[in-house]
Amino acid sequence: MLSPLILIQILWTSLATSSCFVLFALAFALVLKVNRIFNFAQAAVMTTAFYAAYTVVGLASGPGWAGLLAGVAGAVAMSAVLELFGFRALRRRQASSMFVFIFTLIVSELISYVAMLIYGTWPATIFPSLFWPVTLVGTIAVSQWDLMALGGTAVVLAATFAFLRWSRTGQSMTAVADNPDLAEFYGIARDRVFLAAMLLSGLIAGFSMFLYGTRAQVQPGSAIELLLFAVAATIIGGIGNLAGAVVAAFVLAIIQNGSVLFIPSEWQGFLLYAFLFLAIVLFPRGVRLPQRKRLVRRTPAPALGPAES
Amino acid sequence: MPAGLEVRGLCKRFGGIVVADAMELDLAPGRIVGLIGPNGAGKTSFFNLVTGVVRPDGGRVSLDGRALTGLHIHQRARLGLSRTWQNLRLFPSLSVLDNLLIGARVYPGESLPALIAGPGRLRRAEAADRTQALDILERMGLAGVAHTDVASVPFGQQKLVGVARALMNEPRCLLLDEPMAGVEGHAYEAIQDVVRRLAARGIAVCVVEHNVAFIRDLCDEGVFMFAGKVLARGSVEDLIADPRLTELYFGT
Amino acid sequence: MEYLYTLAILMALYVILAASFNFVIGYGGLISIAHPVFYAIGAYASALLARDAGWPIPLAIVAGALVALLASILVAVPSVRISGDYLLIASIGFQLGVLEAIKNIGWTGGAGGLTNIPALLAPGSNHAIYVALTIAVAIATVVLLRWISRGPYGRAMSAMRDDELAFAALGRNALAMKVAIFALGSGLAGLAGGLYAHYFRFLAPGQFDILQSAALLTMVVVGGLRSTWGPILGAIVLEALPQAITFLDLPPSLLGPLQGILFTGLVLIFMFARPQGLIPAGDIWRGRKAMATDARRA
Repeated sequence: MLSPLILIQILWTSLATSSCFVLFALAFALVLKVNRIFNFAQAAVMTTAFYAAYTVVGLASGPGWAGLLAGVAGAVAMSAVLELFGFRALRRRQASSMFVFIFTLIVSELISYVAMLIYGTWPATIFPSLFWPVTLVGTIAVSQWDLMALGGTAVVLAATFAFLRWSRTGQSMTAVADNPDLAEFYGIARDRVFLAAMLLSGLIAGFSMFLYGTRAQVQPGSAIELLLFAVAATIIGGIGNLAGAVVAAFVLAIIQNGSVLFIPSEWQGFLLYAFLFLAIVLFPRGVRLPQRKRLVRRTPAPALGPAES
Repeated sequence: MPAGLEVRGLCKRFGGIVVADAMELDLAPGRIVGLIGPNGAGKTSFFNLVTGVVRPDGGRVSLDGRALTGLHIHQRARLGLSRTWQNLRLFPSLSVLDNLLIGARVYPGESLPALIAGPGRLRRAEAADRTQALDILERMGLAGVAHTDVASVPFGQQKLVGVARALMNEPRCLLLDEPMAGVEGHAYEAIQDVVRRLAARGIAVCVVEHNVAFIRDLCDEGVFMFAGKVLARGSVEDLIADPRLTELYFGT
Repeated sequence: MEYLYTLAILMALYVILAASFNFVIGYGGLISIAHPVFYAIGAYASALLARDAGWPIPLAIVAGALVALLASILVAVPSVRISGDYLLIASIGFQLGVLEAIKNIGWTGGAGGLTNIPALLAPGSNHAIYVALTIAVAIATVVLLRWISRGPYGRAMSAMRDDELAFAALGRNALAMKVAIFALGSGLAGLAGGLYAHYFRFLAPGQFDILQSAALLTMVVVGGLRSTWGPILGAIVLEALPQAITFLDLPPSLLGPLQGILFTGLVLIFMFARPQGLIPAGDIWRGRKAMATDARRA
């Protein structure tokens, strides 16, 4: 029989661990919504972020904040390169969505090979130790990392949604996501909005990858695996629905971590794909690209007597 | 057994817009019916509902006594329901002849197992379709462009190809969506001629068209639609002469 | 010499995979990344039937292809009803799920891999026979798919890609066609899987992951979507070039990443410098060719 205390402990730890995954999913869902790209190159962004932070902190023994800065800067720079030299050129050429999709896959692979060449295939961590000071709150062990991750995630989430809702650029993103042609018609420069979305996504991915790398070991190929989780959460949450992706990632991460109580740990990974598959089979209508909104026009009913013949 | 197309109580709304409001309409074999009404009256939607492109909220449709309700688009076509499209929807990567061949009532090359099992039988069936297609093209004055890319023939001829393709499945009921828009000269005559001959062979024809002269010349009767309803049915002259309908047509 | 045989066999298998994948995504217009999973299903099914159930190997290979074909129908039937990106999403989910299952089920050998798969060739026989066998299957695959895509079926596929709605309104069953195209392509991938399993005699889930999907997509798209020779050339070039540097005698820690960089770098260069593919597809269903056929007929 499980004691409630253990249950609460596991729930707490799962909650803290879910924070990175929530942000991975947010970054992925944002680009899918605004730029309409299944951006698997987010893995390249995440890999860049991790190794930039690792170089500064792990290799050069710089301070943690410098590592965070380096990671986020690396991620944003990588996102900018992807958009300016990749997606923009492909868009000009009206490349098919499959072509763009392949491009993102190949870039994420290329970056992982480059990382492998420079840093080797061994797992690395940003700080030499993965252990964080732990305080007992009642009987629950709360590590400093848990607080940092949850606090940081809450701030990033709030800032992102506030940005999308109230800033001009954020509103433009929503407008472009709804209807790119119409947005262009109203004078919103699409290219700039796409770039902004990529930069924001890079920022979020860089920050979350730094968090992840301070808690777990990372290899050049890890980011692709991590990203697959974000893809699954985005699909389950409903494509084009950022809040849905966030909630799905949160719930899935908690279930996946918490499931250790109920199912053998090696099946944890499978659980995610079981959910993904169920979502595909059960809610097919929930998972499709947002459709352009129809223009609504009402026709007044005719005031005509009975039809003559 | 009722023959022709029978529509009973057909309903469809898109959000706030009603495109079919308990619509009732019969199309008898051998009759040419012109469907007129202002833009947004639901004429093209009616075609889409009948052919299964759009799923209705309610109502029944039957062709020669066979219920079509719930059938897929392709199943309805195989029962002899054929249509053309306002924007043509030809297959641009195919030749004129190949566009027609796709429209055969039974397309032998459609099934991969059948293709692999009996290529010889398929070749013979295909040869018969080819003869039929060339025959239709000949009658419509398109024989000369049979082997040309459909994308590179003039627009008027493309319109004819659209009609010709719809004839390949030997329809029992043919729905023509604005066959005249953008057409002049020879094609104008050719389309009228083809439609009359079809009607003479006992096919029910329904035409949506803004060209009133064409409707008057061609149709046995007219149906006036407004806001998803049939408001009036009668001779085209009477409909045109009715001031209330004219106001609905040009007003609002 | 053995090394060259291995390379030739791999190239032939990748020609089968690229040609069948081209059939699915190019001719069928069905966007999926799960091709390596059907390759895996064919390989595992055939290996397990031969190793654990004692089936004769040729029979096991054919059965493996059929298992892959049936699995693909299960994926396609619910997915192709909804258009566009949906099959892509379903295929991602299917690929990840199947590989995760293989990693965790005991009787597939788990993440460590499936070993002791019986070889099709008797020990000591000449490996050139296997090279000839795989090349023959590759040629047969290419010829079959080329024949299908140039006949009435190809005309229908072309029309379906052009305008699916108009296609259906002419009485053509687009859903059935898509499922059939997906099933044939996936079945051929399964056949390649069986051929792989009984030569290399070792299977691990990592051999069929999303990087394999990227490699196959690349061979087809870089080679030239919907052309007969494009994907073949793509498969051979992209399989051979990274191998070429193995002769440079580098330490393995450098060799792996360098091969990867070479492969992905080449792909990126091709994507931007030659987006239409190495061999652009001639539109077979253009009038001129049809005219020639009819002239011959007349």
